[in-house]
Amino acid sequence: MGEMEQMKKEAEALKTQIEAARKAAHDTDMASAASGVAPAPRVQLKTRRTLKGHLAKIYAMHWCTDNRLMVSASQDGKLLIWDSHTGNKVNAVPLKSSWVMTCAYAPSGNLVASGGLDNMCTVYNLKTPVIKTVKELDAHTGYLSCARFLSDTEILTSSGDTTCALWDLETGKQKTVFLNHVGDCMCLSLSPDMNSFVSGACDSLAKLWDIRDGQCKQTFQGHTSDINAISFYPSANAIITGSDDCTCKMYDIRADQEVICYQDAALNSGVTSLDLSASGRLIFAGYDDFNCNIWDSLKGEKVGELKEKKKSLSWREC
Amino acid sequence: MDELDETQLKNHVDSLKQQLQYNRDKTSVSLPELTKWIEEKMNEDPFLNPDILKDNPWVESSKCVII
Repeated sequence: MGEMEQMKKEAEALKTQIEAARKAAHDTDMASAASGVAPAPRVQLKTRRTLKGHLAKIYAMHWCTDNRLMVSASQDGKLLIWDSHTGNKVNAVPLKSSWVMTCAYAPSGNLVASGGLDNMCTVYNLKTPVIKTVKELDAHTGYLSCARFLSDTEILTSSGDTTCALWDLETGKQKTVFLNHVGDCMCLSLSPDMNSFVSGACDSLAKLWDIRDGQCKQTFQGHTSDINAISFYPSANAIITGSDDCTCKMYDIRADQEVICYQDAALNSGVTSLDLSASGRLIFAGYDDFNCNIWDSLKGEKVGELKEKKKSLSWREC
Repeated sequence: MDELDETQLKNHVDSLKQQLQYNRDKTSVSLPELTKWIEEKMNEDPFLNPDILKDNPWVESSKCVII
C-alpha cells in the first residue's frame, strides 16, 4: 500500500477513535442538564440608533472595548468610526481597496484594521493627528475574512487561503501560521484569556488553536456546510457556530463535542453572523433572509426575532 | 483529504493523534457547570435583568433631540 494510502487510512482510524472517545464522554445531554432552568423570556428588541453614512453594502462591524465606539467597513471603500451613544461619525478612514470583508478595533482603542479581497490586513492608527496606515500585513494568498487584535502589537487573521495567522505588528511579519483547515477560513473568535482562539471554515469544521504553540487542539464537526460565524462563550468553556446549513450549534470544549443545535424547519437561510448576550444565555443570529433570530442557548428555542429590511451582519449588546 | 500532499497529510495525521489525546470531561460534569455559570451571570445580563436596563445608555434622556 502506498504511503499516502496508508496515512489516509490512519487518519480515518484516528477520527473513528476520536468519535468513540466523544461518545464515551456523552453521558448526559443539554436537555437534561438544563431541565431545571426556567425558559428565557421572550425578547423584544427596539431600534435605538440607525447609523447612516455608508454608501454601499456594509460587510462588517466591531465594537471597541468601551462599548461605545464601533468601526464599520463598507464596500464604498471606507471604514467609519461611530459614537453609538450620539450616533455621530468620529472618523472616516479611506481604504486603498474597497473590497473589504472585515474590520477590527484594538482593545486599546488606538488602532483599527481592515482587509478583504486584497489578501492583506491593513492597520491604521486613529490617534495620530491625521489617521495613518501603520502596517500592511501581506502574506496571505487568499482573501482576508476576519481579523482580531490581541493588543497593539499582535493581530490574528483568518483567510480564504485556509490558514489563520498571528502577526507581529512591529515587524509586519507572521509569527505563527495555523495550518489544519482544508477549506477557506471564514471567521475567528479569541478566547477571553487570549491564549487560544477558534476558527470556522468552509470545510464545515470549527477548530480550537493554542495561540502560542500554533497547534490545533480540537476539531468540532457536525455542520454540513460552511461555518460563517463563530463565537467563544463568555465562560470560555463552549463555542457557538453559525453555518450555511441554516443552523447554529453549541460545542462543549471540555467534552469535545456538539451539545445542542439551534434549528427550525421553517428556516432555510444560512447563518451569516452571530453574537451572544453578556451571560451567554441569548444567541443573536443573523441569516441570509435578512432576519435575525434570538435563541435561548440552554433550551434551544427561539425567543425573539428582528425583521429588518437590510441584512443583519454582526452586533453585540453592551 | 485528497487535496493534501504527503507532508500535509503527515501533519494532519500527527495532529489527529494529538487531538485524540485530549482529556475529555464527561458531559454530566461539564454541562451542569456551564448551565450554572450562565444562570449566575444572568443577573448581570441587560437583556435578562430589567433593573440593569434602566441604565441603558442608548435610551433618549430627554423628549427633544437636537438634529
